[in-house]
Amino acid sequence: MNPSGKMWCLALGALALAVVLGICAGHQWAAPAEIWQAITERDTLRSRLLWEWRMPRVLAAACVGALLGLSGAVFQGVFRNPLAEPYLLGASGGAALGATIALLVPLGLPQSWLLPLMAFAGAWGATILVLGVARVAGALDASGMLLAGVAMAAMLGAIRSFLMLALSDETVSLQVVMSWVLGGIQTPTWSGLGWLALITLACLAATQTLARGLDLLGLGDATAQSFGLDVARFVPRAVLLGSLVVAAAVAYGGLVAFVGLAAPHIARWWVGPRHRWVLPASALAGALVVTVADAIARSVLPPAEVPLGLITAVAGGPFFIVLLARRLRAYGGRA
Amino acid sequence: MNDAAMLGAAHLHLSRQGRALLDDVSLELPRRGAVALVGPNGAGKSTLMQVLAGQLAPDSGGVTLQGRPLKALDVRARAQRLGYMPQRFEPHWDVTLLDLVQMRLADPARAAQVLAEADLQALGERRWSTLSGGERARGMLAAVLATDPPVLLADEPGAALDVQHRLALVQALARRGRERLVVVVMHDLDLAFECFDRVVVLHAGRVAMDGAPADLLHAPQLDAVFGVHFERIAVAPNTLLRARSLTSKDKP
Repeated sequence: MNPSGKMWCLALGALALAVVLGICAGHQWAAPAEIWQAITERDTLRSRLLWEWRMPRVLAAACVGALLGLSGAVFQGVFRNPLAEPYLLGASGGAALGATIALLVPLGLPQSWLLPLMAFAGAWGATILVLGVARVAGALDASGMLLAGVAMAAMLGAIRSFLMLALSDETVSLQVVMSWVLGGIQTPTWSGLGWLALITLACLAATQTLARGLDLLGLGDATAQSFGLDVARFVPRAVLLGSLVVAAAVAYGGLVAFVGLAAPHIARWWVGPRHRWVLPASALAGALVVTVADAIARSVLPPAEVPLGLITAVAGGPFFIVLLARRLRAYGGRA
Repeated sequence: MNDAAMLGAAHLHLSRQGRALLDDVSLELPRRGAVALVGPNGAGKSTLMQVLAGQLAPDSGGVTLQGRPLKALDVRARAQRLGYMPQRFEPHWDVTLLDLVQMRLADPARAAQVLAEADLQALGERRWSTLSGGERARGMLAAVLATDPPVLLADEPGAALDVQHRLALVQALARRGRERLVVVVMHDLDLAFECFDRVVVLHAGRVAMDGAPADLLHAPQLDAVFGVHFERIAVAPNTLLRARSLTSKDKP
């Protein structure tokens, strides 16, 4: 099923609407006319706040959502499992450890760039470590990597807990770490947002190179190989690229639960199973979900902000249960 | 090795956990012909097919394709020359038949033409889960053959089919053998001896018999390999095999 241009336009329109609503939403509702004023004039404090704080924040949420959706589609494609999510190979544990170090260890560097950098390095580093362990163990297939990922996540979680206990001498430090772990979009500057948008587009283009391989992997290793895919080379390459995408998402948005799991499903319902379409559709679905969830996170308990990850987890939990129930029904008890 | 051989296997050995799955298997398969690979369960038929297809590396020995070592060819080049239809195929995502054929082709625009040539155009937009066993077998065969590979290796392609679809599929494979090399793993001995030019009988990882059907049909060794006493029933122009009783060593 090739989605028509009209369907893409509708989906992009829905995202644009969500972005506008996201900019309007907050502990003080802004009218659409005020958004226009903020773009064109910025002569009041309110319009400057909208321009410098809310707009980049909402657009960053859309980019983070797109990255999460994209990485989710790559991971579900590689592991051929609809329950796979982008944090599967230790990316979440690595990112959380990196963020904990950035937040608790006094390294004397500005936290505004140290935090995303450490989260990115943690997320990608953990995945590379998982691939290395799987290679040394001679199990560089999907199930081998999965098991190595579970072991790595447990180890990284233990190290993070130790650091939190050993280095946190103020309750507030623990709160900051917990708040980051629960996910939340960092408000970037406009130039920072430009970089994030560029990264998102680059990831979208780079993952398109995986589309045919992910399609073939879905036919099973034997058929993929006989149809011309070098499975042994493709799988680690796809995992590394998928992890790069999720590391970028984590660096800007912390650990946002369930979006990477849900977005590819929404995309497949919409465009069918071919990854040429699933990848951009997952990015769109992820962007839409995170933009809406971020708007709720900023609006639901004014003037406080609920961590974004809590919103997506509360909405995503039931989604996951429904998904599991559908799968159990479809496969007679095999989840 | 014979220069005319399309696919060759020389002294293949493969063991798993101390058990020999292939034990000094050598074969030379010509440029055209329909070859049936038969044998009892556990004889090594599927393992041999996987080794011939380059899916599994032998412990020793080697496979050659058109005179070149198979392992020297990259996966893409191998896929162009070898069509492999595995014993089981169940896609993880519910693709359409058109999707499946497109994935096989470097030029996806040709997929509709491939389906039309296989008389499957009506099924092109149908999802895999909605196809019957016969439609799936025909669809998979069309996808595997979409690149017109000089060699087709099919592992029990008719196993899940009813008698009508199984016969149609086997006859189609045998017809292809007039132009290309077709190697098919089969359990149906009557179809193997009736439709194929050559029958290779595997037993305990070794080639027990290899020759034209007429030469093997009456050999007592066939009974020994399958552990049954066959009754040969003449039904002109063929001879059918009917298992009458187990040989003594296999009696419960």
